[in-house]
Amino acid sequence: MSRFSLSWRAGLWAMLLPYLVGTLLLIGLPALISGVLAFTTYDALTPPVFVGFANFRLLAADPIVTTAISNSLVFIVLAVPLRILGALALAMLLFRPRRGAGGYRAAAYLPTVIPDVAFALIWLWIFNPLFGPVNVALGALGLPQPGWLADAETARYPFVIMSVFQIGEGFVVLLAALRGLPRAYFDAGAVDGAGRWALFRYLTLPLMLPWLALLTFRDIILSFQWTFTPSFVMTGGDPYYATMFIPLVIYEEAFDRFRFGTGSALMLVTFLLSVALIAAIYLLFRRRGYVADV
Amino acid sequence: MRIVPASLLRALSASVLALGVTASASVAQEGSGTVSFMVFGDPAELAAYQSLVAAFEEREPAIDVELIHVPSASDYRARLGVDFAAGDPADVVLINYRRYAPFAAMGVLEPLAPYLRQSDVISESDFFDIATDSFKWRGQLMCIPQNISSLVVYYNRDLFDAAGLPHPADDWTWDEFLAAARALTQDLDGDGRADQYGVGIEPSIFRLAPFVWAAGGELVVLESGLRPIRLALDSRAAREAVEWFVALQTEHGVVPDALNEAAESSESRFLNGRTAMFFNSRRGTPTARAIDGFEWDVAALPVGRERAGILHSDAYCMSALTEEKDAAWTFIEYANSPAGQAIVAESGRTVPSLIEVASSPAFLDPAAAPANSAVWLETVDSLRTVPILRAWVDIEELTADELERAFYGQASVDEVIAAMITRTAPFFAGEEG
Repeated sequence: MSRFSLSWRAGLWAMLLPYLVGTLLLIGLPALISGVLAFTTYDALTPPVFVGFANFRLLAADPIVTTAISNSLVFIVLAVPLRILGALALAMLLFRPRRGAGGYRAAAYLPTVIPDVAFALIWLWIFNPLFGPVNVALGALGLPQPGWLADAETARYPFVIMSVFQIGEGFVVLLAALRGLPRAYFDAGAVDGAGRWALFRYLTLPLMLPWLALLTFRDIILSFQWTFTPSFVMTGGDPYYATMFIPLVIYEEAFDRFRFGTGSALMLVTFLLSVALIAAIYLLFRRRGYVADV
Repeated sequence: MRIVPASLLRALSASVLALGVTASASVAQEGSGTVSFMVFGDPAELAAYQSLVAAFEEREPAIDVELIHVPSASDYRARLGVDFAAGDPADVVLINYRRYAPFAAMGVLEPLAPYLRQSDVISESDFFDIATDSFKWRGQLMCIPQNISSLVVYYNRDLFDAAGLPHPADDWTWDEFLAAARALTQDLDGDGRADQYGVGIEPSIFRLAPFVWAAGGELVVLESGLRPIRLALDSRAAREAVEWFVALQTEHGVVPDALNEAAESSESRFLNGRTAMFFNSRRGTPTARAIDGFEWDVAALPVGRERAGILHSDAYCMSALTEEKDAAWTFIEYANSPAGQAIVAESGRTVPSLIEVASSPAFLDPAAAPANSAVWLETVDSLRTVPILRAWVDIEELTADELERAFYGQASVDEVIAAMITRTAPFFAGEEG
């Protein structure tokens, strides 16, 4: 038995090893270097110079950085709940076997596999203020036609809307979770006379809460990074920094202006913000007593 | 401050630390080996550089040139920076005069003055002065300029004719320009919105600069040692120019507003025959030559209190890291010889920086559009350059963000001038001169 266990464990390690090595080399090590660079000025051409917390003071004094942090937080507050609820709604709608369900599920997942740049370019057209289908439809209905990406007041909303269409992974996770819920609970609820809303409110939702919490944590981390490609491709942060998000500032600082120190410092700030947000959500869910079992 | 002792960082930067030492030029006349050459541009430009490389390889069989092409100029700039940072740049790269200063300051460019001095093929006096002067970093020629382009007005001859307007004269004034722009801005379907615009111009300090100079203003304030110390857009003359420039959109509506520009760029509108005049450098010529729906030509910038133009110039620069310096120079030397510059000029892309080639049919071919190519040469004496500063890219980006606000009616001229001066101040302070 022990020999079997050993070989089983060895097999698991063997399977894990490539990912472990990859994670250490491609994520762990660069993150460590970036963490050190955050306390230096470094242009990648001359040696880094230790400057203590000067980069963080520079970031705090830079209105573009504070705007980008604010934009990213607003995006997360708007997009994450919509993405989680959207994934849950789709999973609820499509988890029961029915004719054509496979096709619908594939359609729900499809936007997630579109390459990011192509996805951004499609939405750039969709939100074209004059020729895009959204404003053409709004105009046909006699409704106001926002400037969307061309107007600082509305430029962030297309980012939220388009992100809601890339929820395939959350959808699949919740679909699997829904299928794993014990039928006996629902049968018992039905016998007790619970309606569909009551079953959802008192059985489905509490039972799904650990999954929803997990997806929320993942989505917060993802959302900090997700804005890079659309903001890089669609707006470049315009108009007047309305779509300037943290990843774009990091990219411009590091790879456009060769200020790897401030870029790394902002990355560290983003990491700490992610941790703070996840901790806050964790405490919120934990008080409800469901996360402990995840 | 002290150098970080962490071996981790040293390991990370080991490959690039060597760049800190500027190699002394050991000049030779010929070389052999493989030289990588990175360029940007559309397919027509790529074809020109391919022809150049082919001609060079035929002439110098011992040297292979590996052409690396990046289509977009912005992607090219990012690639260039990352390649230098990674310690693995192409041996020969094209860099604009507004952007080479950071690389020169960091010592990653091989100064080419010693090579040029020993060349039997070309000498500095063969080039237009302003082109070579703009690539001198602390008095030393760093790169060999391939062109001496400048901002001009591309205009749709058919739209001028349809509106009964005379084509722009060489000495047309701001008022004449504005009158034409207003006449050419038209609501063709009567829906209350302009379908055809008089002008397309991007709100950037690079486009604004010649108007500031033409109004008698300056871009920057120079201290006694001629070091730029801040933007000078708050002078009376410069402010007038900014106000006139902004009014093209906010008051006269001859330029698309933010919504219309976002819906379709002015360049696209011009190419599609729905904008009458578009400001661009010679760089727009290969694309414009593909227009088949209307006749077009180029005109000089309208004249304000004085005539002023702005230099657009790229140069062949050599990486200080390259191990094939002699071969790289042999290629740069050929590319900037009369034969080499003629090949690229024939594509329409460049206004040659060699005086001899600029006045030859390679550039002034009467059969190739635009008919008025000579305008680039006739206005050379009025050309000026933006300051050569390491942080000029930052200054351009910040000022564009502010200028855009005024241009699209979201802030007053005085407000954005003040913001431009305040926000760019730290970048001037960081320059050593």
